[in-house]
Amino acid sequence: MEKLPTEGGIARILANPSPDSASDVPEIVLQVVDLKPIGNSSTRYTFMASDGKMKVKAMLPTHFASEINSGNLQNLGLIRVLDYTLNSIPNQTEKALIVTKCEVVASSFDSEIKSEVKKEAEMENEAIKVNKEEAAPSIVLKPKQETVVKSAMQIVKEERGNAAPAARLSMTRRVHPLVSLNPYQGNWTIKVRVTNKGNLRTYRNAKGEGHVFNVELTDEDGTQIQATMFNEAAKKFYPKFELGKVYYISKGSLRIANKQFKTVQNDYEMTLNENALVEEAEGEVFIPETKYNFVKIDQLGSYVNSRELIDVIGIVQNVSSTLSIRRKSDNETIPKRDITIADDSNKTVVVSLWNDLATNIGQELLDMVDTSPVVAIKSLKVGEFQGVSLSTVSKSVVQINPDLPEALKLRTWYDSEGKGASMASIGSDMVSPNAKNGARSMYSDRVFLSHITSDPSLGHDKPEFFSINAYISLIKGDQTMWYRACKTCNKKVSEATDSGYWCESCGKSDDQCSLRYIMILKVSDPTGEAWLSVFNEQAEKIIRCSADELERIKNEEGDDQYQMKLKEAMWVPHLFRVSVTQNEYMGEKRQRITVRSQALVDPATESKYLLEEIAKLSV
Amino acid sequence: MDTSSPTVFVNGELLKLYMGRRVRTVVQVIRNEGGAVVGQSTDNQQLTVKGPNQSVPVMNFMEVIGVADGPQSIRAEICTDFGSNFDTASYNGLCKLANGQFKNLFL
Repeated sequence: MEKLPTEGGIARILANPSPDSASDVPEIVLQVVDLKPIGNSSTRYTFMASDGKMKVKAMLPTHFASEINSGNLQNLGLIRVLDYTLNSIPNQTEKALIVTKCEVVASSFDSEIKSEVKKEAEMENEAIKVNKEEAAPSIVLKPKQETVVKSAMQIVKEERGNAAPAARLSMTRRVHPLVSLNPYQGNWTIKVRVTNKGNLRTYRNAKGEGHVFNVELTDEDGTQIQATMFNEAAKKFYPKFELGKVYYISKGSLRIANKQFKTVQNDYEMTLNENALVEEAEGEVFIPETKYNFVKIDQLGSYVNSRELIDVIGIVQNVSSTLSIRRKSDNETIPKRDITIADDSNKTVVVSLWNDLATNIGQELLDMVDTSPVVAIKSLKVGEFQGVSLSTVSKSVVQINPDLPEALKLRTWYDSEGKGASMASIGSDMVSPNAKNGARSMYSDRVFLSHITSDPSLGHDKPEFFSINAYISLIKGDQTMWYRACKTCNKKVSEATDSGYWCESCGKSDDQCSLRYIMILKVSDPTGEAWLSVFNEQAEKIIRCSADELERIKNEEGDDQYQMKLKEAMWVPHLFRVSVTQNEYMGEKRQRITVRSQALVDPATESKYLLEEIAKLSV
Repeated sequence: MDTSSPTVFVNGELLKLYMGRRVRTVVQVIRNEGGAVVGQSTDNQQLTVKGPNQSVPVMNFMEVIGVADGPQSIRAEICTDFGSNFDTASYNGLCKLANGQFKNLFL
């Protein structure tokens, strides 16, 4: 059964004004619009018959009045015309459709049906029009009719209510994933949750005073983008955006993100001006899972003082009481709480919670510390206080006992081993990388040579430190092995005109100078090879004689003995603590690896380390 | 290299699994009893080593390569003095791995 007016139905009727018999009448379904009684009659009704495109004045048969009175057929309902005649109205160009036989197809409809796809605005207007049109009859109609109209209005409202989401989806509310946005496509709508809301800040620049605030938005896929609003837009949207709520946003503009200021991983950032559309999404269920990228505690060393924020997950072992720290810059006191967490890398670290996190989450953790809860924290800054320390920032998120597979893994590890294990703080490993117990620290941040050589951008900002275990594979005998150094300050001396050596920094000349090693060695490990710069202290241990001595051998005992000495140093495995930096040389960026400390490989300790690493492989 | 009869790395625990097979292990010499040497394996079990070349001093470590002829006894073919500086924990770890998940690397 058709539930829509027949397309071109009116045209057909107009074409065939007087069908011979009912059988000649094709199936025509029309919508009853503008239904009203003629005068005071309760039996004669007039309406506009609509097929979606055209309308014609029409009249219902008197015997059909009962259908209207009973409410079976209401305004905006559908009828199937079974028999009719088309009369010409005297003095009018219009025709009148006299429906002689018909049946109800649909008693009512949400609105007048038109054949084009409507925009919501139009539909709304339509609905308003319809309502208004309905309102008119309700005033004119007799009380009996009022009940009919009221129920029609009710039904229309209901139907409208039901149709609304469908209507909304059918318009430009096609939600685009955040990852597809770019500055060259303007017509988008996104559905996002506010995962971070900044404060409304006031600034002063050459143009005067301004307001700015930004929000971090996350969509269903987990993609994030930062949106900024200035002045009027800032004031307009600041109260509108609420942390945690979901919004439909459109008509924002995109541009490439300023890497210096960006806090989220996105090449673009969004700006919303007063023309932007922000609409709260009702009852939204999607909660983009906080995407974590956990770093094991024993790997934190390489992030120290990096700008990158990291995530951790661990078992809470200890919660301190709240401390009040006074901020030097503005004398403001901020609450702080330190918690100690441990993970299955068998290391512990201290996390400092600031402000709200200290007071609220901190208190919660203190209350439940006996249960050794799992805590997952996103966006922590890695500092070097006491070796390694973690600190929350304004956008940090703390979850207690989260529903993540890592949390479960930690729980089982802790219950079986962790609880009893005595774990060292990762900080103590880092405190003195050049400590007397040099061998101990050779095991933190252990990497293979390929890790260093394969990444040319390592150390471009600040030097990065690693430990390596490598064999000396080549010492070139024909390189500059040493420099002449001042006996007092070890700085390079230049040959003075009147024999002797002149030290620039000491400001004096000396007959004697010492030789200090400065050389490059080639080292190899199972993953590759690299050139290391080595200075006096370490070179002496490698070659096993001082630079002065080596020079003496070279000059007095001959080149063979000299080469022999170098050969003896080769193919000996050493543990090195190295720093990697990037510098420019002749316009090209070069990686420079410098040895900071050296130790011979102790087979027992190294074996222990290897066994640990092998065990990690199989997990 | 003669790979016809591969020698298995064993400790006290694993010795009984390779009865009649060629094995190698390191023990710390505890005492000399006539023709046999009693040694402590890397997992603290007492093993008896029968055979020649028993010149390893007490308290030193000795590597034994021979045939396992009892759950705690080896008929030694070669004995080597490994000195007094030996890390039993690492060797024990080696035995476990060589017979466990990395068996195919060794046999």
